[in-house]
Amino acid sequence: MNHRQRLLQDYARLAAVALPLLAVPFLVDPFLVSLAILTLYWAYLGNAWNIMGGYAGQFSFGHAMFYGIGAYTSTMLLLRFQVSPWLGMLAGAGLAALFGAGAGYLLFRFGVRGHFFALGTFALAEMLRLIAAETEFINRSIGVHIPLIRGDSWWRLQFERTQGNYYFVILGLFVLGMAVTIGLHRSHLGAYFQAIRENEEAAAALGVDVLRYKVYAVALSAALTAMGGSFFAQYFLFIDPTLAFGVSVSVQILLRPIVGGVGTVWGPLVGALLLTPLAELTRAFVRTPPPSLEFLRGRSGVDVMIYGALLILVILFIPDGLVGAGRRLWGRLSPGPRGGRRPS
Amino acid sequence: MSQRPVWAWLAVLVLAVLVLSACAAPAAPQAETGGGAAPEEVAPAEAPGPEEAQAEPIRIGGIHPLTGGLAADGIQMDNAIRMAIQELNEAGGVLGGRTFEYLSADSTGSAEVGQTEAERLVNQGAVALICCFQSSVTSNVAAIAERSSVPLVIDVAVADAILQQGYRYVFRLQPNATAMGVYGAQYLRELADALGATVQTAAYMYDGTTGYGDSVRAAFARKAPEVGIELVAEVGYDPFGVADLTTELTRIDQLAPDVLLVTGYYNDGLLIARNAEDVDLDVKLVYGVAQGTYDQPQFVEDAGDLAECFLDSNYHWDASNPKALAVREKFQQQYGEPMRTSAVLAYQAMYIIADAIQRAGSAEPTAIRDALATTDYADHILPYPGPIQFDEAGENINARPVVMQVQDGRVVQVWPPAVAEAEPRMCVSWKQ
Repeated sequence: MNHRQRLLQDYARLAAVALPLLAVPFLVDPFLVSLAILTLYWAYLGNAWNIMGGYAGQFSFGHAMFYGIGAYTSTMLLLRFQVSPWLGMLAGAGLAALFGAGAGYLLFRFGVRGHFFALGTFALAEMLRLIAAETEFINRSIGVHIPLIRGDSWWRLQFERTQGNYYFVILGLFVLGMAVTIGLHRSHLGAYFQAIRENEEAAAALGVDVLRYKVYAVALSAALTAMGGSFFAQYFLFIDPTLAFGVSVSVQILLRPIVGGVGTVWGPLVGALLLTPLAELTRAFVRTPPPSLEFLRGRSGVDVMIYGALLILVILFIPDGLVGAGRRLWGRLSPGPRGGRRPS
Repeated sequence: MSQRPVWAWLAVLVLAVLVLSACAAPAAPQAETGGGAAPEEVAPAEAPGPEEAQAEPIRIGGIHPLTGGLAADGIQMDNAIRMAIQELNEAGGVLGGRTFEYLSADSTGSAEVGQTEAERLVNQGAVALICCFQSSVTSNVAAIAERSSVPLVIDVAVADAILQQGYRYVFRLQPNATAMGVYGAQYLRELADALGATVQTAAYMYDGTTGYGDSVRAAFARKAPEVGIELVAEVGYDPFGVADLTTELTRIDQLAPDVLLVTGYYNDGLLIARNAEDVDLDVKLVYGVAQGTYDQPQFVEDAGDLAECFLDSNYHWDASNPKALAVREKFQQQYGEPMRTSAVLAYQAMYIIADAIQRAGSAEPTAIRDALATTDYADHILPYPGPIQFDEAGENINARPVVMQVQDGRVVQVWPPAVAEAEPRMCVSWKQ
């Protein structure tokens, strides 16, 4: 199979996943639609993180900085200048890419790597959170409301929640993000990213401009993450510095790809499909437990414990994520040429 | 492969964050329902058709932080609604015998979860919601309520902006940030005059992270010039991350203000009290403005003699109303803890909704909304100078804070005189 065929095959797989998903809002009740929206939303953000954290191996613990820039940019453009959130989303993506490239350049230029790079990104996100909380233009720590409009508007990117429009928007974003990753996965750029991840010195020795491609990875990941932030603002209609730049945003973004499989095309989606409904299911489980576990009924906190315990198990026993574990299993069942060409 | 240790290490960090947030919950004393006959929580998996509703119980949804750092308040508020519903049902329900059923939800303190839980409750047939304790969560839930045309009564959430969106389905019981700041400033002036104290300058320490402290501070600062108070320092801090404030307080000490003003949550308020003693802060009064510490019996337990004299202008139950005392007594018996103000407000919110349903003669959300808008409820247990009535925006027009002070190990209401239990004192504990 040549390169082009593989690429087409991957896109065909994406289409095979995405097309049936179009039917979801017509089949399930509104509450499940909102769960599906959150699942796709986290899959989208995980995928954006994965480009930088997975493919290029630059572990970010502060993706909230890009996310927050996206959320605030589209919101302020809408509130102050009546700019459509779609344009605001693009502006936010551009701004986040610039910020990411600048920040990435500084960190990489001075050789900040590994743990220290992760902590650097964390510090940058916290810095933006504190600046936002002191900035009058964006209403300090009090936060900004997006005014509710009656009915649906594609221009204002605001819809009746019980209908599927938000779902179609996030599905579209998700497909876009996945298409970027698939293209990357099969491109020279993606190969450079992975070479840098595996061994920076070796990549440099082979002529890869390490600094430049690391900055590219940050900028691309930042732009996609910022678009997720704009979507969040339009969906939740309220943002404040903690919702936009808080630590929990950074953590939530990287959880899905870690559980699903860092540096794999489908890892973030698999992680999101597991974790998002899992949180919801454990909550539902504690609300109405089976008779044998009646003592769990209404115990607040048990859901968080179950969720946490499952996460610990996944990270302890399958550190390469569900996709990695699936591959190992597959490789054991059918040893053959397939194993060899798979990345990481 | 060389990257493995990096993210394995970070994964541990991530887990630490998760475990911490989970562990915060058991720290809050979970009310044991064994002693009291708490009403059954029934959460049917299927949403009921509204048409077959005649014999159905009326479903009321409540969303509060039952886990995480704010669980101590959230669990009490949840229990307070249960207690109110139990009382209402025992008294025969509303609309000629229809009973209430409580749908409880845990916001976990997160806006995202609060929003999906609100959708779930609406989907399960809740005809009215009570929520949320935090402004950020409330902002999201209010948008859901408005979008779904289901009335929401906010028990606790201070941010003005929530009700400045033109919402028709959202009502608030407690004083908003503006009322907290404005009355806080006015009462400080009246108190100082009554005590014969010269109060011209003040330093303000506030929660600069969650929007709560900032919005109250801003309202206070707008009112301050009018009542002759000059703010000589305004210091924001992170209420959940701060470990020491002696540097800030030393700086304030050098400015020699007459009063130290504080707006924040429980632990940071306690820290400020301790650090103020450490630096021997030279002020005439310490005055909380909607502060989460200085009006809590817990503060007296934790700080001992240091707690004496601290003032707080905050929301409260009406300590001069025997009915309020009876409700708190019953709550303590049933759930084993003193009932906090937040829980009193949640309890009150349930009665306001029951009243609206009774007057509406219907349990349809739209009818309840219309009845809520014309609420005129005098039989409440809050220290307000009039009945509970909502204005166009949904604000409770008579909502006021009261000033409380720790006196001889008890928190007592001292201002305004109409609800005062004792005379205010001018003192600072570490100077006695």
